[in-house]
Amino acid sequence: MSGSNFSKKFIFNEKIDSDYLYSLYEDDYQYIEEIFSTTLTHFDNDLYAIQQAFTAGNLSDLRKAIHKMKPTFGFVGLPTVQQSCKEFEDFCQKATTSNELTSEYQQIVVTLAASKELIASEYNKLKEFNSNLL
Amino acid sequence: MKWTCVIVEDLQVAADYLVKCCEKSGLLQVKGHFTNVEQALEYLNKNSVDILFLDVEMPGATGFDLLDQLAYYPKVILTTSKSEYAYNAFEYNVTDFLKKPFTYQRFQEALNKLTTAAGENNISSTATDHIFIKCDGKLVRLNNDDILFIESMGDYVKFVTPDKKYITHNTIKNLEEKVNRQCFIKVHRSYIININKIDDIRENDLFIKGNEIPVSKAHKADVLKRLNII
Repeated sequence: MSGSNFSKKFIFNEKIDSDYLYSLYEDDYQYIEEIFSTTLTHFDNDLYAIQQAFTAGNLSDLRKAIHKMKPTFGFVGLPTVQQSCKEFEDFCQKATTSNELTSEYQQIVVTLAASKELIASEYNKLKEFNSNLL
Repeated sequence: MKWTCVIVEDLQVAADYLVKCCEKSGLLQVKGHFTNVEQALEYLNKNSVDILFLDVEMPGATGFDLLDQLAYYPKVILTTSKSEYAYNAFEYNVTDFLKKPFTYQRFQEALNKLTTAAGENNISSTATDHIFIKCDGKLVRLNNDDILFIESMGDYVKFVTPDKKYITHNTIKNLEEKVNRQCFIKVHRSYIININKIDDIRENDLFIKGNEIPVSKAHKADVLKRLNII
């Protein structure tokens, strides 16, 4: 968000859609670091809300919890994960019991956990990159 | 002068990003960020703002519930990740609909729409000292100063003047947007009153020429703010 001519000095992990990130923040790496940090700070609570709703068989809460978390992934350059969340949200909308969703649930939890690892690793790289810039 | 705004958003990263966009624009002053409707209502019923950035799905009540309960209508920009809300957005007459995450360029487009909408509002609210209503097969002119209050009757509303009552097909929600806000204020989901016609206020009711009109809790602070209390 710091001007139209920007450089792409930082090499993001290939799983991260860097073009998408640059479209949001341009080359404001300090701010991207901040976004990743905020995401990580709230990640476990948001994931816990999903797990708790599934365990309780509460489809409405499950749908709300995944709905809340969904855009997070767009903000960190993972639009495909955001799309997976949307598909799971749609499943929640259609299902009548949480048992119908067991396989999709297991899949999304694995995706979310892997995403968290990726975000954490990129955050550490960004932190190092930014500290070298100072 | 900057527009004042409030952000109602339960996702922290989205709220932070919105704050950043607002600051970058140089046009907006963020007065607060709330993560649920209840907190936001408490603030908004005591403080008026120009613009509301509003998420739809939050813990508890939804963004649309907030709009139903607001005592006044700031310009609203919905921020959500679900396109399905676009239809409701249209029904609530929101200025724009930002799908999260959005680029700063898209945010600027929303601000441009606000500028246009604000311009249109200024023209209509300062230029009119009267309205026309469809009644008994004709268009009847009512001067703002002659209208005591407007009462909801389901799909109809009743315009009450000192001499006559006019019933027409309309809703309070729709009229709230169209009447001159310098004269009129919504005091209850079923009533808009002429602020200049109030005789007295007791507890949760106000009186206009012998008519007792309820004032809802949600609207009371805004009504009192508009009175010249010395």
